[in-house]
Amino acid sequence: MPSDLAAPPVLSTPDENILEVPAASDRKSSTISDDVLRATYEIARTVDEIRAGGWRRIGLQFPDFMLVDAPRVVEVLDQELASVEDGGAKRRIYVLADSSYSACCVDEIAAEHVAADVVVHYGRTCLSPTSRLPAIYVYTNHELDYEVTMTEIEKEFGDKETKLVVMADLTYQNHVTKLVDHLNDRGYTNVVATDVVRDPAALIPNRTILGEPMDEEHWKSYSLIHISDPPAALLLALQTRFASLHILSTPSSESPSLTNPTMRTAGALRRRFAKVLSLASAGVIGILVNTLSVANYLSSINLLREKIAKADKKSYTVVVGKLNPAKLANFSEVEGWVVVGCWESGLVEDDASYWRPVITPFELEVALMREDERIWGGDWWGGIEKLSLIEADEKSSPEAENGVDHQSGDAEAVEDDVAGGVEGEESEAPEFDLRTGKLVSHSRPMRLAVRQNGAGADSTTGSNGTNGTAQSAALIKRVVGELASINGVASPGAEYLRSNRTWQGLGSDFDNETSTLVEEGRSGIARGYHVGEDESRH
Amino acid sequence: MVNFTIDEIRKLMDKPTNVRNMSVIAHVDHGKSTLTDSLLAKAGIISSAKAGDARATDTRADEQERGITIKSTAITLYGQLGPDDDISEIANQKTDGKDFLINLIDSPGHVDFSSEVTAALRVTDGALVVVDTVEGVCVQTETVLRQALGERIKPVIIINKVDRALLELQVSKEDLYQSFSRTIESVNVIISTYFDKSLGDVQVYPEKGTVAFGSGLHGWAFTIRQFALRYAKKFGVDRAKMMERLWGDNFFNPKTKKWTKNGTHEGKQLERAFCQFILDPIFKIFAAVMNFKNDEITVLLEKLNLKLSVDDREKEGKQLLKVVMRTFLPAADSLLEMLILHLPSPVTAQRYRVETLYEGPADDEAAIGIRDCDPKAPLMLYVSKMVPTSDKGRFYAFGRVFAGTVRSGLKVRIQGPNYTPGKKDDLFIKAIQRTVLMMGGKVDPIDDMPAGNIVGLVGIDQFLLKSGTLTTSDTAHNLKVMKFSVSPVVQRSVQVKNAQDLPKLVEGLKRLSKSDPCVLTFTNESGEHVVAGAGELHLEICLNDLQNDHAGVPLTISDPVVQYRETVTGKSSITALSKSPNKHNRLYMIAEPIDEELSLAIEGGKVSARDDFKLRARVLADDFGWDVTDARKIWTFGPDGTGANLLVDQTKAVQYLNEIKDSVVSGFQWASREGPIAEEPMRSVRFNLMDVTLHADAIHRGGGQLIPTARRVLYAAALLAEPALLEPVYLVEIQVPEQAMGGVYGVLTRRRGHVFNEEQRPGTPLFNIKAYLPVLESFGFNADLRQATSGQAFPQSVFDHWQALPGGSVLDNTSKVGVLVQEMRKRKGLKLDVPGVENYYDKL
Repeated sequence: MPSDLAAPPVLSTPDENILEVPAASDRKSSTISDDVLRATYEIARTVDEIRAGGWRRIGLQFPDFMLVDAPRVVEVLDQELASVEDGGAKRRIYVLADSSYSACCVDEIAAEHVAADVVVHYGRTCLSPTSRLPAIYVYTNHELDYEVTMTEIEKEFGDKETKLVVMADLTYQNHVTKLVDHLNDRGYTNVVATDVVRDPAALIPNRTILGEPMDEEHWKSYSLIHISDPPAALLLALQTRFASLHILSTPSSESPSLTNPTMRTAGALRRRFAKVLSLASAGVIGILVNTLSVANYLSSINLLREKIAKADKKSYTVVVGKLNPAKLANFSEVEGWVVVGCWESGLVEDDASYWRPVITPFELEVALMREDERIWGGDWWGGIEKLSLIEADEKSSPEAENGVDHQSGDAEAVEDDVAGGVEGEESEAPEFDLRTGKLVSHSRPMRLAVRQNGAGADSTTGSNGTNGTAQSAALIKRVVGELASINGVASPGAEYLRSNRTWQGLGSDFDNETSTLVEEGRSGIARGYHVGEDESRH
Repeated sequence: MVNFTIDEIRKLMDKPTNVRNMSVIAHVDHGKSTLTDSLLAKAGIISSAKAGDARATDTRADEQERGITIKSTAITLYGQLGPDDDISEIANQKTDGKDFLINLIDSPGHVDFSSEVTAALRVTDGALVVVDTVEGVCVQTETVLRQALGERIKPVIIINKVDRALLELQVSKEDLYQSFSRTIESVNVIISTYFDKSLGDVQVYPEKGTVAFGSGLHGWAFTIRQFALRYAKKFGVDRAKMMERLWGDNFFNPKTKKWTKNGTHEGKQLERAFCQFILDPIFKIFAAVMNFKNDEITVLLEKLNLKLSVDDREKEGKQLLKVVMRTFLPAADSLLEMLILHLPSPVTAQRYRVETLYEGPADDEAAIGIRDCDPKAPLMLYVSKMVPTSDKGRFYAFGRVFAGTVRSGLKVRIQGPNYTPGKKDDLFIKAIQRTVLMMGGKVDPIDDMPAGNIVGLVGIDQFLLKSGTLTTSDTAHNLKVMKFSVSPVVQRSVQVKNAQDLPKLVEGLKRLSKSDPCVLTFTNESGEHVVAGAGELHLEICLNDLQNDHAGVPLTISDPVVQYRETVTGKSSITALSKSPNKHNRLYMIAEPIDEELSLAIEGGKVSARDDFKLRARVLADDFGWDVTDARKIWTFGPDGTGANLLVDQTKAVQYLNEIKDSVVSGFQWASREGPIAEEPMRSVRFNLMDVTLHADAIHRGGGQLIPTARRVLYAAALLAEPALLEPVYLVEIQVPEQAMGGVYGVLTRRRGHVFNEEQRPGTPLFNIKAYLPVLESFGFNADLRQATSGQAFPQSVFDHWQALPGGSVLDNTSKVGVLVQEMRKRKGLKLDVPGVENYYDKL
């Protein structure tokens, strides 16, 4: 029997292990040659730009896998900058390791710690506009074998008339136009190239399709070829904008292969919908701040807060640095999360085992929509750029919403209280949670609270302030469905503590103890104590 | 013309002793709706010419089209005892006058709609069980009878389609008697199997008048009592005595003019009294009419003192037969008489039903109100189902007033199925807008309705999904939630063809979910809208409704899929260990299977999370062989706090354990909802928490550290304990003539079916085959069977149990089960391979 423990289980690693286990020895070192290094990291361009900008303190941000090359890049940059010293003070270069949020964004916080004037960002990036510092992007290029690529494409698209859009990961961007030329040489007539542009909200995020501008409908008949594996957010965003998606995977530059993830992405998009639905019936939503650098993140957070409040839900804003399941599961009263971040990192992958669903601002917008407006399967975008402002006419939406629930219900006037009925205000109708197929009543916790406050205000004005205190002293029967409140503000968090947690912290059981009279104890020093007023010593 | 007014009905409602709430239940096609017609005709709701063909309680177009009842339909009738009937015959209960109010519910017979029957039974006190003379007691007869007895519903029987026996089978009188008595016997066998002391002996006896014989199609029926009435005068004996003599081994010797128990006289076989006095006139009429012997008919009519109108007299053959029989033995009269005399009034019934109805203590005001059927007590009303109104998307809440009086405008507490007294989950306050009387497809407004009646309510449909309790008492507990004999095990996912239609689909799913007591609609992990039903037919009807009525948009409907359950078949080979992300906390867990009996008890609500833990521990120890200390330390049930998986704390003296309980429970709910193999719910797994090591600082053992860890260790424990998949299995009962049996066996074998019982129906060439058939293999089974037996076999499938999927380990990709698991994972958009235990198991 496995459960019969002969001896108590060893609950910790033996101390000696520290001596035996060698410290991580598999440290990689940079292997590429100097020339390749200079080319890959675009040393010359960087130096030119730094000089042109006149920046003194420079932060270099590498993605984790490039960090091995960081010392050498610094070295080379130092040399270059020193060799063409333009009379000014010496420039200082810092390597920003361990980015706060995601590798794709410029880490302005870390840069500000060293008071950098500029950040050089290496590797692939989401190109989100920065809010404080200028940035130089070095995409670090990779090789691509055109011959094999062409064969792959020809294998997939036999028809030379096929409408194709070719785009690439930033690290392969330099191959796009060449590849399109090659394709045209081979007789393809409808191949279009793309170029980098800083616009995460474009049809293809951060890309523009070369040639005449066309409306979105036009491109729906095109297939898209993406060189190198795109981030999941990009796939989801492009899913509905093109006829089909094809990825030219590039495990190594010699053997690219073309895959079609259209079906898989459709599945992923549906899975996102399940998450959206669980947020739709959540009462408490956490706003996760996953960036401190993307421009207008503050206004986006405010906007989300307002939207959540408008939907009568409660929001808590949380900053935890880099996301992981453990951090988020600490807030068990939060029923779902929305991530404010750049368009790439805003999408949190499912399989990372998060306790509660994590969605993007766009998905939250869908979740907060009224059921008779909610549509899924069309557009999808990540990030915060497209977050729409609350329109003026939406202000009437809560009423309209209630109207839908009650329209037909209130169509006939109900007679006034009939004898024998129960007391208390009528409850709001629960909502049908499409995710679980049950009725839930906790999806709008703030609705009740708001109304109660309103009623309180009315009565105080009515009593003209003369007996405002008497009002608060009056006994009020606790209304069914009333939330726990802190300083008069309804708090779903406190309600969760009160009703859902069995462990409420030390000292929470004091209420149950009967109070005792306080008696004066002994006083004095060890030679003799006094008890109370008594003069005698003990 | 309806021969009663709402006012009359309303007056009768105040006399609960004169109310009869009854449902008509039976096997499919035994003639419930047809029989109900004759009662409606009597009440003037439909014309008597149409009775038998109209099936007026089949209010939906598809019901009429398919010829089956899908929804149960309630109708209120006014009945009166004849002048020569004595109300003193209504034994054991008080009665007030000869006017009676009958609330009748016609229910569907097809097994897929059993949930409708359950909902109907809950609000009634008596049941009219219809049995086909030729087919006898079938599966569904037994199922509904069992359900009725479980709800403490008193049954009376009508043996229907006697005309078929006479016309088609041409049986002799004695054979017919034997067939009747066999049927009654098999009914009584079922009744005595589910004997309930509080309900008393409810077996049916023709000589007591609780059995009727007749033909719904022709609109005639009789009870022994009716004939006893005729003959009592003639023989000058007491009617009760006469009734006894007209059934069983009682013979009238015409020579000696004496009654005897002996079947022979001077070596000659005597005709038994039943045949001689009851069947004989009927046989004579049949013979005369069907052989067109006009003279004989006239003689017979005079003898029986029957007067036909000129038009009717000119009819011939079956038409004439119908008219004659209908005039001779009107079905409605004998049925009404049987119902009124032998079914309990609400006052009588609620006295013994209260303990099975009410969850709370037997001595609180609500329980006493129900027991006494007191219209002045606090309101206790059970809503058993939702009936669509003509106003799209709105429903009448259909239910029974058990205590108090419900009236328009009354503000009530609406307690959903998950309500627990003192808490505010699933509790709403709302005024009832209107109360209505349900009259088949129509409704009639009514101001108020006292205890003991069946009512429709307007304005509270948004607060209840399918069923619930309405009350005006602050302390009232719930009326017990109904347990269905069918489970929604077959699923199909639906998608809109056009994304713009999604809101309509959502609204449609919402309505569908309300309109059927059994169907489930939800969205699964992979974002598909799923509709789950009891069987293929049930789903077909639901999806039809969804597409054409509730949503009204074109849909793409997937092939049916089966929902599996994940389980373990052994004990974890080693104690599973997982460390928290910060490596400071460790959980040790072992998984083992739970006995099937206990799982069933949990699923049947006999053992539940709401029980007092000490009482529950006693039950577990006494009935299921658990260790009492273990049984007292069940932390939770799961998934959703109610399922048949248990988390048991077996740690000894662990500090801070109470602090992490919530986190581990959360992790358990999560893991049991989405198992490690294919994210299917788990079933029948017991997880023992063996030990924990925790960090000394509270912040390092918070939910963040422990919820994911609990999930991981549960997965590891399950993967180490020979995980398996459970598939649902139907119990199929097939009625088939001998010559077609080969075809049945062929089809069953091809579909992994397993026959475990085969018996011949006495006196017929028909065989009853009982078999287990995996639900997965049942898709298209009916069509297949029809083909293989040229339409002679009639299967009825009902979910029976879960069974481990054979064919290798789920973890082995090459095995049959492994392939299936991979398919499921692919469909859900997961990684193809089941993550190995090393993903969840941490080395020390």
